[in-house]
Amino acid sequence: MALNPEPADAPVAPLACGRDPALLWDRAAEGVPLDAHERACPHCRAAHADARGLDAVVHRMAGQRIEPPDAVLDRVMSAVATELRPHELLALPSPHGPARVSTAAAAAVLRRAVDGMGGLRARSCRIDQQGVPGADPHAVDVRITVTARFGVDLASVTARVRRLVIAAGEQVLGLPVRRVDIDVVDLFGDDEA
Amino acid sequence: MVGGGAVTASRGADAPVPTGPVPPRAELDEATLVVRAQEGDARAFEVLARRHQPALYRLAVRVMGDRAEAEDALQEALLDAWRRIGRFRGESAFSTWMYRVVTNRCLDMLRRRPPLPVDRVADSAAPDSPERSAEVDAGMVALRRELRSLRAELRVCWVLRELEGLSYAEIAQITGASEDAVRGRIHRARVRLSEVMRPWR
Repeated sequence: MALNPEPADAPVAPLACGRDPALLWDRAAEGVPLDAHERACPHCRAAHADARGLDAVVHRMAGQRIEPPDAVLDRVMSAVATELRPHELLALPSPHGPARVSTAAAAAVLRRAVDGMGGLRARSCRIDQQGVPGADPHAVDVRITVTARFGVDLASVTARVRRLVIAAGEQVLGLPVRRVDIDVVDLFGDDEA
Repeated sequence: MVGGGAVTASRGADAPVPTGPVPPRAELDEATLVVRAQEGDARAFEVLARRHQPALYRLAVRVMGDRAEAEDALQEALLDAWRRIGRFRGESAFSTWMYRVVTNRCLDMLRRRPPLPVDRVADSAAPDSPERSAEVDAGMVALRRELRSLRAELRVCWVLRELEGLSYAEIAQITGASEDAVRGRIHRARVRLSEVMRPWR
């Protein structure tokens, strides 16, 4: 019968002197010098020598430059393009019969408009086209979160973003915007350009 | 300016949408890119994937021990990440989450593959690549071979610690094991490697 001499996740056995060899190894890897006990103890010295002995080759391996070929991400993005969530669509007013745009594409248009305002970036952008009885069936509600550069006048941000989102919705997407909720969720500095 | 045309299209007498320079996506912060990708923005996901893939590929190469398999693992893992990104809730760093997705994909592939013949082991660099011709480093070839002989769970933990420089806590999040278990696995891997590598010191 085969015995497993090394249970997968057994605790690390202490050295004969009682010290924890994993801790000793970590300290050796960090370059911490041996303490008085470790200098005198043959068990600790042997473990320390093992730890240091692997150092050089492990460093060389860690320093190897390994870059994935571009083809991998190209293939991934082709597959992603075929998996875009086509069921999330917005109906567009159109004299030529039903027209639709993907919600993700419409959100990208609104985010891009906000990104172009200077000092602001759109983060989340949710577009909801829930028909309300008696109202324009194409009208949308937009919830958008933005981050602002330090120093941007926050008092005016909400009004400016609201105007822009309404204009972009109507002019670029052709969708009447009924309601815009705006949250400034974060600030960024110039160093994060 | 990129894409300004799309926003200036205006109808009738409406005031045109003001357009300033749009910052390139590659300059956006990670939190913004993650949220956009979660909402179905494939271009935001591509920026994230491009940013993280060198580290993810390094991990896959070391865990799989074979570049072609590592490419497959990376490709499948990135698709997994796209499909599951909506479930990322920020309980860890995004990089930790990505490492986790790749790790799971590698372990899954290892479970399903028959053992590779030993003679492929030393060939994980492509023949005639600059890396390979520069690699007269017999010690590293030996380390790579011994790494492959470790159990996959040990190898993953060792690579994340010794080659990627992650903390025990991060490795525990990536592997789903406890910090104590991670500590034990790394130690076992270290001891085993130092024993078999003794002739190379």
